[in-house]
Amino acid sequence: MASFTASHVSFSAVPCSFKQNQVSNSRIASLSFSGKGFSSRKLPVLRFRVACAAKPETVNKVIEIVKKQLALPEDRDVSGESTFATLGADSLDTVEIVMGLEEEFGISVEEESAQSIATVQDAADLIEKLLEK
Amino acid sequence: MQAPFRLSGMRRGVSKMKLHCFERTFFHSSSSLTPIQLPSPMETHLWYVKPSEVKSGSLLNQYLDILPPCERENVLQMRGEELRKSALLARALVRTTIARYQINSHSNPRSLKFRKNLHGKPEVQWQFRDDQHPPPLHFNISHTTSLVACGVTTNAQIGIDVEEKHRSIKHNILSFARRYFSKHEVQFLAAISDPQVQRMEFIKLWTLKEAYVKALGKGFSGAPFKTFTIRFKGVMEGGFNTLEDLSPKASEIVVDSFDDLADLTSNWQFSLLELANSHYAAICTEKHGAGSDEGKRNAPGKLTVWKTVPFLEDECVSGTAAVKIICGVQ
Repeated sequence: MASFTASHVSFSAVPCSFKQNQVSNSRIASLSFSGKGFSSRKLPVLRFRVACAAKPETVNKVIEIVKKQLALPEDRDVSGESTFATLGADSLDTVEIVMGLEEEFGISVEEESAQSIATVQDAADLIEKLLEK
Repeated sequence: MQAPFRLSGMRRGVSKMKLHCFERTFFHSSSSLTPIQLPSPMETHLWYVKPSEVKSGSLLNQYLDILPPCERENVLQMRGEELRKSALLARALVRTTIARYQINSHSNPRSLKFRKNLHGKPEVQWQFRDDQHPPPLHFNISHTTSLVACGVTTNAQIGIDVEEKHRSIKHNILSFARRYFSKHEVQFLAAISDPQVQRMEFIKLWTLKEAYVKALGKGFSGAPFKTFTIRFKGVMEGGFNTLEDLSPKASEIVVDSFDDLADLTSNWQFSLLELANSHYAAICTEKHGAGSDEGKRNAPGKLTVWKTVPFLEDECVSGTAAVKIICGVQ
């Protein structure tokens, strides 16, 4: 299931580094190439998910908490792919979001894990992983 | 292009066209940056921009134009006009600020390359000959949608954080503090009865803790907030003071770490300011004493602050109402 997440502006290839998902998790192998600097014509941006991703209900709950924390308008399009950074979450927002998720789901998130959350999907996956324990 | 500048709606064909328009309107921007000398070792420079004061479409075009494609893309990916603008200003501020110091005669903000250290802290990737030493300039940026700031030092690690004074905290302050701050800091906040004052002290403490972690450059998990205490210390005696008791010259901000081994907390000095009546700014820098404890403890740094609109105007605002020193520097 390939999805293009490169921006709509196309540039010629430049040597920008791409960020790999730092959460190493035996259940979820997630490779994400964030298309920075790659021409969208030459290299499709792919996100592979081996094994199950989080349930839609979990993702939706995360979206709800994020929208509330960042005071986003109801019609702002937020999905699993949305990164906290592009939604405008700064470090204090991120910590408040994590705290909101801890309260909502009754979990406890270590700093290392919190630091590796980049997208709504990452947060939802981490929640489910912690709920399994 | 005289039409009002909009950073939204950049789609495939349109964006290509707009980028070409930027090429045509570009002029040598490096010539309109006032050059400046690096701060001395005990000195910090702070540059800030207020996005609300940058209204010119052509100026925003110039800023977009000095960014490499990947940074431009990051800016355009931000969701919302305000976020795009402050993201653009953050990149423009850091590039133009560093360019002013004309390291190795480089004065062009476009030609700077950046990378991240092992833990994700941005740093300049200097282009220099093998026989040269890497330049001693250090920087750190912080931004909110309403203020973007860049701090610069020479030969000293630096971390800065800015927050809106009236920022709302969604959680109960003490619950948040119990979860993330140290025991002493919770005690400090719990002793404040007025909720407004408590909220503002919380925000000040947050900015100081953020600035420290950013100065260390090890990422949020490298120095978890619970593992260190930041407190205000009277020069005459140790222990706690509430901020009402303090005058800036009588006290300093210190950090105690439960895990002091690697970080040697006496190596760091802090300043806390109120900027433009609207924001708290915390600056944490490495101290380089004469080697003695005496030298390290008794030399508050010098801070110079400029309010800028890059390429347009700079105003030194140190000593004016725009910069209120709460604690730590002269």
